[in-house]
Amino acid sequence: MATILYHGEPNGPSLAVLAAMAETGADVALDIECHAMDLLGGKRHTLPGVTEPLARDMGVEGEGPVLVIEGEAMTESVFLAQFFDEVGDGTSLQPEDAYAHWEMMMWCRQITERLSPAASLLGNLATSHQRLEALSEDAFAAQVEPIVSADLKVRWDLVRDGEADDAQLKDCEAKVMQAVERCEKQLADGREWLMGALTIADFETFAWLVGMEPIVPEAFKGKSETQAWMKRVKARPSVQAALARATSEAPERSWAPGPEINRWG
Amino acid sequence: MAEVTLYHWEPNANSGKPMLALMEKGVPFDSHYIDMLNFDQHRPEYLAINPQGTIPAMTHGDKVLVESTAIMEYVNECFEGPDLMPADARDRWRVRWWMKFMDQWLAPSFSMIGWSVFIGPVVRQRDPAELEAAIERIPMPERRVSWRKAIYGTFSEAEIAESQRRVAMGIAMLEKELGKREWLGSDSYSLADINGFNLAYAIPLSQPELSNDELTPNLLRWLRAIYARKAVKDCWALGRTDMVKRVTILEQERI
Repeated sequence: MATILYHGEPNGPSLAVLAAMAETGADVALDIECHAMDLLGGKRHTLPGVTEPLARDMGVEGEGPVLVIEGEAMTESVFLAQFFDEVGDGTSLQPEDAYAHWEMMMWCRQITERLSPAASLLGNLATSHQRLEALSEDAFAAQVEPIVSADLKVRWDLVRDGEADDAQLKDCEAKVMQAVERCEKQLADGREWLMGALTIADFETFAWLVGMEPIVPEAFKGKSETQAWMKRVKARPSVQAALARATSEAPERSWAPGPEINRWG
Repeated sequence: MAEVTLYHWEPNANSGKPMLALMEKGVPFDSHYIDMLNFDQHRPEYLAINPQGTIPAMTHGDKVLVESTAIMEYVNECFEGPDLMPADARDRWRVRWWMKFMDQWLAPSFSMIGWSVFIGPVVRQRDPAELEAAIERIPMPERRVSWRKAIYGTFSEAEIAESQRRVAMGIAMLEKELGKREWLGSDSYSLADINGFNLAYAIPLSQPELSNDELTPNLLRWLRAIYARKAVKDCWALGRTDMVKRVTILEQERI
């Protein structure tokens, strides 16, 4: 049975995972076939050959890439990157030192818990809303029908409705700005990569930030270290290979409903 | 003096995770009890250690670590003792997936219900001025919002209903998953089990209509198997409130 990575356009979690796969050599080690899917067309929920769908159905990340091995759907971009790193060719994207590893995981959690939900909402409202709004009610209902998670369905509804209150949008923009400021501070000592050595944190952070450049441009203004770092990440052959899989001219403008914003405030 | 100091509340939810992980690894540590309901975590002496004012926190020599699941992973990697992550990479992925699912999707729902039903009403008996002062000491604005909701019980009906939906669904998911393998996400006892036990040990008591030997035999088998471990007994002995007594329901032969 083939091992297949179903991915969306190279942006957000799909970009992070495609880059980590190429960087670690996991595509060769696991003989992975890459199949593009139309995330905003709801295709992730009707993938063939999935006999263990739990992680696809209930993953916190929302509409991210799905790796299918022996029928089991594997999700969550940071954990897929760790998996690739651990089965790959020995190129390590995770620090060996336990404390440095903790720092990297904490960084990634900041990205996935604070930046990703905010970036996802802003990105979807800016780019996905129009396409979903154009669907008839029946067509939209048919598209979201196979989605198991009720709260993910709510996020689809929200993007279709295109309504978010100003306070929430401002909070999302603030979270993007905070993420860029954290990068700028981290890179201030002249280091090449966020954790010193190249790690999963670079791909995860870049993948969620790159689509924010056109939407929250003020976040990047005067942030020269971050801009230079983003250029370095983008120049990696692994990222270039991921971007080469794009089927649209501007993959950084391709979004689908992502993680939910913290329910507790 | 031990090299490791753990600042924790009761062996429950987030505090219990690194407590139990340290005990399973056999790592000696100085236990520093932080009375969460007395808001010790927002007092200057604790903020000097963890400026975010969240519990738990752990110091290891001059290093300070926060976030319970991340601390557990550090403990497992840093110290000798039984490996609490499975040997197989796909099993490790599954363990991480479950921990994130529990930490971000399921646990906040349990917590919301716990606060609205049990903890909030008790805390609200305190002097209102004292409570306000305690909230104002919370360093992170987002946490202030969360604590205000928890203390004053201002969750909407819809929010509580959504949490109840998630709790019921989470219990059903755990039951199904534990029917596939002996432990959560893999065939060996791991951090996912430590994480899950801290979240789920009181389920048969708090959700008897959703979890009992008849409805969720795999969940009960798993909870009892973890409760039988010496490290769990040692860990729960560090509790100071009646909360810890809830775990004894697992001593019943039939629930």
